[in-house]
Amino acid sequence: MAASDPNKLIAKADKLTRLSLTRWNADWRNATVLYEQAANGFRLAKDYEKAKIAFEKASKGQEMLSSPWDAAKHMESAAALAKELSNWREAADFYRKASELYMECDRPQPASDALGKGARALEDAMPEEAVQLYADACTILEEDGKEQMTFDLYRAASSVYIKLEKYTDAASVMLNLGLAADKCNATNSQCKAYLGAIIIYLYAHDFKQAQKCYNDCSQIDAFLSSDQSRCASKFLAAYTDGDVEEIKRIAQSSAVSHLDHVIIKLARKLPTGDVSGFKTATAEDDEQLDEDDLT
Amino acid sequence: MSVIDLLTRVDTICNKYDKYDVERHRESNLSGDDAFARLYATVDADIEALNQKAETASKEKGKASAVAINAEIRRTKARLLEEVPKLQKLAVKKVKGLSSQEFAARNDLVPALPERIQAIPDGTPAAPKQTGGWASSGSRPDIKFDSDGRFDDEYFQQTEESSRFRNEYEMRRIKQDQGLDVIVEGLDTLKDMAHDMNEELDRQVPLMDEIDTKVGQAASDLKNTNVRLKDTVIQLRSSRNFCIDIVLLIIILGIAAYLYNVLKK
Repeated sequence: MAASDPNKLIAKADKLTRLSLTRWNADWRNATVLYEQAANGFRLAKDYEKAKIAFEKASKGQEMLSSPWDAAKHMESAAALAKELSNWREAADFYRKASELYMECDRPQPASDALGKGARALEDAMPEEAVQLYADACTILEEDGKEQMTFDLYRAASSVYIKLEKYTDAASVMLNLGLAADKCNATNSQCKAYLGAIIIYLYAHDFKQAQKCYNDCSQIDAFLSSDQSRCASKFLAAYTDGDVEEIKRIAQSSAVSHLDHVIIKLARKLPTGDVSGFKTATAEDDEQLDEDDLT
Repeated sequence: MSVIDLLTRVDTICNKYDKYDVERHRESNLSGDDAFARLYATVDADIEALNQKAETASKEKGKASAVAINAEIRRTKARLLEEVPKLQKLAVKKVKGLSSQEFAARNDLVPALPERIQAIPDGTPAAPKQTGGWASSGSRPDIKFDSDGRFDDEYFQQTEESSRFRNEYEMRRIKQDQGLDVIVEGLDTLKDMAHDMNEELDRQVPLMDEIDTKVGQAASDLKNTNVRLKDTVIQLRSSRNFCIDIVLLIIILGIAAYLYNVLKK
């Protein structure tokens, strides 16, 4: 059976599914079997285009046979082949379809896995689409209550945003990570996420935002008493002092080295721009405070 | 009655009639008297020993051991100074068999003790003595220069040795700090790794539970299937059914052969 030409199998299967005068009901059962065989044959022959089409048809067949699980599996294979062919749009569509089929089976984990695979495949080619896929994957998992699995997805999404130089988006993704970690009581990941967000804001040279972020995060006890918050406060203090050497020294410290490598690269490049501007702004505040104290 | 019982009874009886033991009381009084003399003797012996130690300390070459001995001397001096008030109290007590001169002598001895204790050299330059010395030598200008010069020389020598000591101490401290820094880095990394492992394990726990339930389900399904299969196979291959099948087959073949023969004819 496997020896026969995949083309012939596809032709035969197509004949079975095409409705005509002699055939009133499409014979999906046999057709699906033939489509699967044809697809495997094409894959072995490294004919990715035809294999992809065969997988697509096999998936449709499985759907008709009301087995969404197999349909989803075939769709995923088709999407992987589309990725090989650098057919990004199609790959994205296939991965989404596969994820929907998995959700039909009531299995959110594989659904989000499918979206994650799609996002990883599209990271270089279509980064916006990739982050969209990551976001959808995280939503699925959070709805299912499995925030533990979202950490990796959030980290990957944030690194894609950083590559796109969309720093505010990246920082907000890190804050989402922190929120998810909070729900799972994963304090280490949470504190690292918050420190990462603060560093991203500093890299974007948005000192006010960084400070606001630090103040917000200090409301959380777990972060307040952690090494990461100490490191963050040292960063902010060094910025207010305008001490470039100090900033570089803190960036070499161990708390920063435990973060994601993308964020470590950002931290090593700090400070971006002129830090003396911050010094004067805060100095004025201090003077005002002193006057109040004297009176 | 056991030996222990005997001993306890004897002890209780002795304790009861102790107050009638006049001789013992007299002895204790005498020893009380001796208590002062004894304490005084011990303090005296201690002072002598300290003086000996001070001499060895001054002869010591190694700075560290000299410092240690001086510290020891200072500690003992403090202890002895605490004993002095006790002696004072004992001296005031009127004891039997003591002449009034001896009593007066005792009262004089006791105050002399603190001075003797303080006089033991323990490495600290006695500041009041020196200021007194300088004040007194202020009135004699010719002597002043010599003593000043001598003190300066001695001081200079000390600072040379002590500066070497200080340098060595600083070097060692810096090396220790460096080593500790390395350890800190390592421990930080370990802590981070441990935290991550913790979180990973927390993540795996619900997955393992799911696997557990699924495997349990699959195992029970398999058991069911096995039992049914066994039943079916037994039914199929039970020897009685087999024999019946074979016999019936033979009968059918026989009938067929008979019919064939009849038809051929």
